[in-house]
Amino acid sequence: MLKVEGLRAGYGAVNILWDVAFHVDDGEIVAILGSNGAGKTTMVRTITGMIRASAGSVNFNGEELARHNSRYILDKGIVQVPEGRQLFTEMTVLENLEMGAFNKQRKEHFAENLRMVYQWFPKLEERAKQAAGTLSGGEQQMVAVARALIGMPKLLILDEPSLGLAPNIVDDILNVASTLVRQNGISVLLVEQDITKALACANRGYVIENGHIALDGTSAELAANDHVKKAYLGI
Amino acid sequence: MSTFLQACVNGLLMGGFYSLMGMGQNVIFGVMKIVNFCHGEMLMVGMYLTYFLCTTFGLDPYLCVPLVAIIMFFLGAVIQHTLITPSLGTKSFTNLLFLTVGLGLLLSNGALVLFGSEYRTIPTSYSQVYINLGPVTLALPRLISFGVLIVVSIALFAFLKYSTIGKQIRAVSQNPVGAEVVGINTKRIYILTYGLGTALAGIAGALLTGFYTIFPTAGASFGFRALIVVVVGGLGSIPGAFFAGIFLGLLETMVALFISPSYSDLIVFVTFIVILVVRQLIIIRRK
Repeated sequence: MLKVEGLRAGYGAVNILWDVAFHVDDGEIVAILGSNGAGKTTMVRTITGMIRASAGSVNFNGEELARHNSRYILDKGIVQVPEGRQLFTEMTVLENLEMGAFNKQRKEHFAENLRMVYQWFPKLEERAKQAAGTLSGGEQQMVAVARALIGMPKLLILDEPSLGLAPNIVDDILNVASTLVRQNGISVLLVEQDITKALACANRGYVIENGHIALDGTSAELAANDHVKKAYLGI
Repeated sequence: MSTFLQACVNGLLMGGFYSLMGMGQNVIFGVMKIVNFCHGEMLMVGMYLTYFLCTTFGLDPYLCVPLVAIIMFFLGAVIQHTLITPSLGTKSFTNLLFLTVGLGLLLSNGALVLFGSEYRTIPTSYSQVYINLGPVTLALPRLISFGVLIVVSIALFAFLKYSTIGKQIRAVSQNPVGAEVVGINTKRIYILTYGLGTALAGIAGALLTGFYTIFPTAGASFGFRALIVVVVGGLGSIPGAFFAGIFLGLLETMVALFISPSYSDLIVFVTFIVILVVRQLIIIRRK
């Protein structure tokens, strides 16, 4: 489904990603693991077209996306839940969700998708008319996930869903993602610092360090790896 | 008592213009976080444009309002696309400061070259018609202008609140990164926003011509007042700008009535400074 090869990107003269390569297959949950500053969010922003890659390829279902803008990539079905949620805090929850339906096809399916996300997150229906900024952190993360689901993702990218949230809320969100993978056949790219949670949920994973892919393997392999244990799990 | 009421009404009618100018400035600031220092000059361009349309095609100034709005929208869109958007990328605030201040100088001096320094008016059959409402007398053009102003303000508010583009404008002003995440073309929104702000200034200019003289620096005092309105009403807040504009209009006429008309500029700017200082003190106290 997604095949990234030799990806290089950065901000201005500062290069952050060095020849990053990985792939996500249909119906798979793949974790990208790494500490703060490893280049995870830069990678997400490059794949979603918010920053341009200086080299490399992002192949999605056979189409090269690396030189396209964010709108085009969204249209193809790569939708992200960004780091820090990036909600429109003075707009209502409902307005935030409306902003997720950015093209004609998504607008037509808005009503049914809205019903679906309200089933996943009933709290959002109660708070539909409330400004998003007045919600708790967990509820705001639900809005961010719901906004992405309104965008009918084929590949859903979750960038640091655990950041600043209570563990049970993170579990809820990861549960929704796993269920969607099973029921709707979408794929999930889970970008996380919390390695235990990410490996419990993902099929496979990649460890990113200083902008390079340092390790890869199945979740079980990575969890048993000495380097992972020492550097990330503190065992 | 009747002079007091009359002053209130006059202040209200003038305040509507400050509101409209402030709202235009505020939409632009909200989205791009830049202060548009040529906002007053855009009002002046709107005045001359109305004058041109009226004298050349014999149109009524109020019929020119939609035309002026459309032309000014495109003028703003072109300025945004060719001048402001490229400067936004440099991340240097001073570039945009010089750009908009320079544009303002260019426009007012351009008007001086093209039209000379004489004061112009657009005579209409109803410019001297007055309406008596109990103790207050209203000049008909001022009343029509105020009516149109209110309609435009409500339309702007509804546009930003309910339309798709209005929501996208608010989204970009609240969170540009989030806007890009959901696929909003921010550059397109910049163009639409600057066009909209310029059109609002143009509408204010067209509405003024019914009872105000037209000259190359006519926009300056409105431009300054738009800045005050934005700061007093709150950066980015459209209702705040509306009420701050009305407040400013009332303040001016009250000063003129109770002290002296020649002090009204002085008092307006002193009040502005006092509000800034008091607000700063409140912020410090809270911390």
